[in-house]
Amino acid sequence: MTLQLLFDALSLGGIYAIAALGIALIFGVMKLVNFAHGQFIAFAVFALIVPSTDAVAVMGLGAAPALVLVPAILAVGAGLAVASEYLVFRPLRNASPVALMVASFALGVVIQNGLLVAYGGRPKAISLWPELGKPVALLGAEVPMLQIIVIVSVLVVLALLAVMLKRSRIGLEMRAAAEDFGMARLLGVRANAVIAGAFALSGALAATVALVLVAQTGVADVRMGGQIMLVAFIATVVGGMGSLPGAVAAGFALGAASVALQAALPIEARPFRDAFLYGLVILVLLLRPQGLFAAASAKPRV
Amino acid sequence: MMSKLGVFDLSVRYGKLTAVNDISFSVAEGERVFISGPNGAGKSSLLAAIAGEVRAAHGRIEMDGDILSGRVPEAIARRGLSMVPEGRRIFRALTVQENLMVGVGLRRDKTAVPDDLEAIYAAFPILGTRRHANAGALSGGQQQMLAIGRALMTNPKLMLVDEPSLGLAPRVVDEVYDRLCSLQAQRGLTLVIVEQSSARAGRVGGRMLLLRGGRIVADGDATAFAADDLLKEAYFGEATP
Ligand SMILES: Nc1ncnc2c1ncn2[C@@H]1O[C@H](COP(=O)(O)OP(=O)(O)O)[C@@H](O)[C@H]1O
Ligand SMILES: [Mg+2]
Repeated sequence: MTLQLLFDALSLGGIYAIAALGIALIFGVMKLVNFAHGQFIAFAVFALIVPSTDAVAVMGLGAAPALVLVPAILAVGAGLAVASEYLVFRPLRNASPVALMVASFALGVVIQNGLLVAYGGRPKAISLWPELGKPVALLGAEVPMLQIIVIVSVLVVLALLAVMLKRSRIGLEMRAAAEDFGMARLLGVRANAVIAGAFALSGALAATVALVLVAQTGVADVRMGGQIMLVAFIATVVGGMGSLPGAVAAGFALGAASVALQAALPIEARPFRDAFLYGLVILVLLLRPQGLFAAASAKPRV
Repeated sequence: MMSKLGVFDLSVRYGKLTAVNDISFSVAEGERVFISGPNGAGKSSLLAAIAGEVRAAHGRIEMDGDILSGRVPEAIARRGLSMVPEGRRIFRALTVQENLMVGVGLRRDKTAVPDDLEAIYAAFPILGTRRHANAGALSGGQQQMLAIGRALMTNPKLMLVDEPSLGLAPRVVDEVYDRLCSLQAQRGLTLVIVEQSSARAGRVGGRMLLLRGGRIVADGDATAFAADDLLKEAYFGEATP
């Protein structure tokens, strides 16, 4: 029972953490809150199935073996994000933060409507890797295989990202740019390359969330990105805007709090779980308005 | 001989305020030029315009006869110009060594980087000792040395240094200038240094441009200036034509 709760908290928190990272990465280098991130997730979900407005989903890319499917869907997410940067955010590079934020809302609406046209508005049942639903015995508990895979994948993604940021040249340039973009450029760091790199990573993270959501819920819904975007955005705020460890920690904390409330609240209060959760968030922000981890700096954009 | 840096009729404006007003001067290869003048004279704005960080309202900037004005800062850095900015602007969350490495991405001679890194550590031993420490934990003087080392790691031909003595104890300032001058000699660097204290500039030696109200009011030998009334006039009197 308690072990099952721990696994629930880790897998839910892991998804929130990855989604929050996607937002924090772009905020870090560009001071842009990308509200289209949820639609990046939805886009990657629908990229698995053949476009049609029929009620029944026909697997397209989703039918490919995992070794092909996973890299391909990550590339789809990265590609969409980089294209968005090039077409929408780059022409607005010197616009006000508010203008950028509004543009990201608009981009989200455009992507969502594109999906509606291509796939229709009704949620579709899709079955990705159904064999992973089987429970396995672990430390005396029955845990779905999928949950273990989700937790391991989240940890692997976090580790890869940490290594990339810590060890690679583009990672070093991103960290420098997140702290003081103007100074990084004076040292020859190319603004366009760093921003495109951050968007590519963010898009790949959105695609990771998409895969996990589909595998867990078995549904493709145009709206599914919006809900997780809300939680992820809250996690980035609680974590301290732009702080990557903060986003991860807050994502896990929100997942754990959500699972704990679900278990601890009396039955009749459970429908209001999210009200309790967001009440907790407000409390945290009242005590630490700068977030749990203040970002290294809040220098203006390029 | 072609000058290393040429500035022609350069103006910088922030809205209605003119920070740099029609300035022209040139700097020869290997020269050391101090820019002095009171607060708000436009010294930092002048350097920022040369490095491409702020856009000039009009005028032209050339390096080795190549036009810099209108280019983005990363393109200017690639041409061999490096900046040690006012306030140092160290990447505090990065380690000392990571700070030094940010600027090597533009270099074509990547194989020379490890030797250069060791050369910086030889010039500033404290940076070597603390290479894995967070840069934010360094003292002001150490951060100044890091900012200089970081700029040198791009292997520049021309280096702009904005108020390296700001907030440092006199003894530390001596040390910073000692290192700067010997590094300049070793590498054949051209240096443009903003220094508030004309007495300090006079002791270090070189040419001096005196700025006031966005204009150059005097141009001559720093040591001669330091002893001269010209300075008082530049700071407190009317700008000479
Ligand atoms: N980013 C800016 N926006 C508006 N005004 C500025 C800005 N930077 C400098 N100034 C103004 O321009 C003038 C010159 O400033 P600056 O170049 O920093 O002079 P100095 O370095 O000689 O002290 C000052 O009046 C200053 O207030
Ligand atoms: Mg200044």
